[in-house]
This record gives sequence, C-alpha cells and structure tokens, in this order.
Amino acid sequence: MNRPDHNTYREWLNLEVDGSLPRQHQAQLDQHLVTCSACRSEKEALLALEGVLKRSRAEVRPGFRHQVLSSLPPASWESRSPRTWSFPAAACLLLAVAAAVLMGGGAAGGSSALSTVAAVAGMFQATLLAGAGLLAATWKGLGLLFEQVIASPVSLGVFGVFVLCVNLLLISLLRRRRPALQDSPREAASRDQGGSGR
Amino acid sequence: MTRGAEQPTDEELVAAVLSGDRDLFGDLVDRYQGRLVNYLFRLLRNVDDAHDLAQEVLVKVYQVLDRYDPQYKFSTWLFRVAQNAAIDQIRRRRLKVVSLRQDDDEGGGEGRDWDLPSPERGPYGEMRNQERSDAIQEAIDSLPWEYRELILLRHFGELPYEEIAQLKQMPLGTVKNKLFRGRQMLKDKLQDFLTD
Repeated sequence: MNRPDHNTYREWLNLEVDGSLPRQHQAQLDQHLVTCSACRSEKEALLALEGVLKRSRAEVRPGFRHQVLSSLPPASWESRSPRTWSFPAAACLLLAVAAAVLMGGGAAGGSSALSTVAAVAGMFQATLLAGAGLLAATWKGLGLLFEQVIASPVSLGVFGVFVLCVNLLLISLLRRRRPALQDSPREAASRDQGGSGR
Repeated sequence: MTRGAEQPTDEELVAAVLSGDRDLFGDLVDRYQGRLVNYLFRLLRNVDDAHDLAQEVLVKVYQVLDRYDPQYKFSTWLFRVAQNAAIDQIRRRRLKVVSLRQDDDEGGGEGRDWDLPSPERGPYGEMRNQERSDAIQEAIDSLPWEYRELILLRHFGELPYEEIAQLKQMPLGTVKNKLFRGRQMLKDKLQDFLTD
C-alpha cells in the first residue's frame, strides 16, 4: 500500500476540519497524527482558525425576517399560482350549483337535468356577454369623451395643460428617486478612468 | 403524518411558496439570513450594507422564484444572486471612491479610504474582539480574489465543496485545492489570534 506524503495528509486535515474527509482516509490520518507532531499542530491551528472565523460572525439584526417579508412585492408568478385561482373557481362552482338547484326546483317534475344544465350554461353565457358589453361600453365612452375633448380648441387647450401637468408631476417623482440610481451613469465614466482608478 | 418531525427541504419549501403559501418564504429567510448577512458582511465590510443587500437579494429571489431550477440546490442559486449583487455594489462603491478621491485631489486634500468604515470602538472589553474582527477582515481582504471568494463561500456562506464547485463552475479538486491554499494564507496572517 502506498503511503501518502506529508502534503496529502495536510490536505486531508483540511477536509477533516470541514467534515468532508472520505471515511477510507480517516483511519490512515488518525494513525499518522499519533506519530506526527507537525500535523497535530497543523490540525490544532486549522481548528483554531475555524473557531476564530466562527466567533467573528455578525449577529443578524432583530426583526430582519419581518422586514424582508413585509417588503416582498407581489411577484408576477403569484397571479398564476393555483391558490390565486382557487377562490374564484370555487365561487363559480358554488354559483353554478346554487343556480342548478334553484332552476331544478322551480321546474318541478317536467324538465330534465339536461335542460337545467343548459339553463345554467345560458346564465353564464349571459353573464359573459354582459361583462364584455360593459367593457366595450367603457372603451366606447372613453372614445366619445376624447372626441369631445378634441372637438373644441378651448377643451383641447385645457386637456393639453392637464397632460403637461401630469408629465411635470411624473418627472418630479422620477427626479426624487434619482439619488438611489445615481451611480449607474458613473459606470460609463469609470470605464474611461479604469486604468487610473487603481 | 409520518414526516411531521422532518424539516422540509429548500426545494420543497420553494414548491410550496410557488403554489401560493407565501408565508413559507419566511422559513427560507430563517434558514439563510445568518449565512447570507455574514457572507455579504465580509464582502462589503459593513454590517448595515450587508443587511440591506441581503434583504434586496431575498426580495429579488422571491420575485423570480418561478425561474428557480430544482435540479440545482437552492443555496447555490441564492448565493450566486448574492455574489453578483455584492460585486455590483463593490463596483459602484469603487466608482464613488474614484470620484471622491478626484474631488479631494482637485481640492488639494488627502486621499481618503472611503470604503473602509472607521470601526466604532466600544467599551474596553470589546476592543479585543473589534481588533480581531478587523484583523480577520484585513486578512480576508489581502487574499487574492480567487481564494477569497471561496473562503467566504465556505466559512461564511457555509456552502459545501460540491455547491461551491457548482456555483463557481470549477472542478471539485480545484475548489479543494484553492480552499487549502487560501486557508494556509489566512492561517499565516492570523497567527497572533490563533493562540488566544
């Protein structure tokens, strides 16, 4: 069996301190440590280093977890998660069941289950059409309003001033946020200073 | 439930968060906050900046959680995001230092080591700790970057060798070798503190 050299033992010591030394080398290393005082003190130094680094760790600020959780913005994937859809889906199902019960009870005896299902489907169709109609009417209404605005020069002027004010407001808001981002333009400048900056 | 006593893995927690249990992200925060803050602290040399950046990183990770690929370890992914964020911040700081030094030069003042905060000296009992902490920081900072990043990932991020290899896209043997050398350098520099 080949005996590992001293450097190998030192590498093994590092792995041992990290808990990554393969089991088959452990016995060999232990045996070597009995006879080699240099490796024993190397192991002590490595353990001491580990301890010093551990003791130098900073404490996490109290309330950090809460701070992180309360600052989580809604992520785009959240709208796709099943839990987001489960409540509306359950409400629709409940509505459908209630409608089927009511319609089935109203048409005593004569009508079949099929016609009840068709009636419930018809109700949902009507709801969808009403929703689509409302949406179209809203856009149509906005279109009419815009038509009226651009019809006369006075209202067009008022509208222009309004748009200008909104723009100024947005610009002032953007400029207020600027300090947090002000480093990015410097990146370009740094490229020029790259060599001299060091 | 048979698995009652078992802790869910990171990957299971991510799956649960993605399926709508937002609060479970808190468990991931609990698991990684200490390691993340300490890793960033040693990179940025400022504990407040480390907290701020750790929070930023966790928020960023949450926002793109659906892009997490479970074939890799969550910790590898988290520390990759953290490392990139820290490097960006260090780069930005350097620009500020360059800019401040230029201002000083123009004003005839002395160049300042802007990015090294002057350590706050507490009561006498804490002085030794502070001294040790500063010495550790100095020793870490003096390591060449290729060793420093691995030492930080191992000792402060507490990542196993395999994950470091995956994160840095290095062969496992190279990681072991660099950590070995990095530790030797660190040990030599911190000799005075190892005998305490």
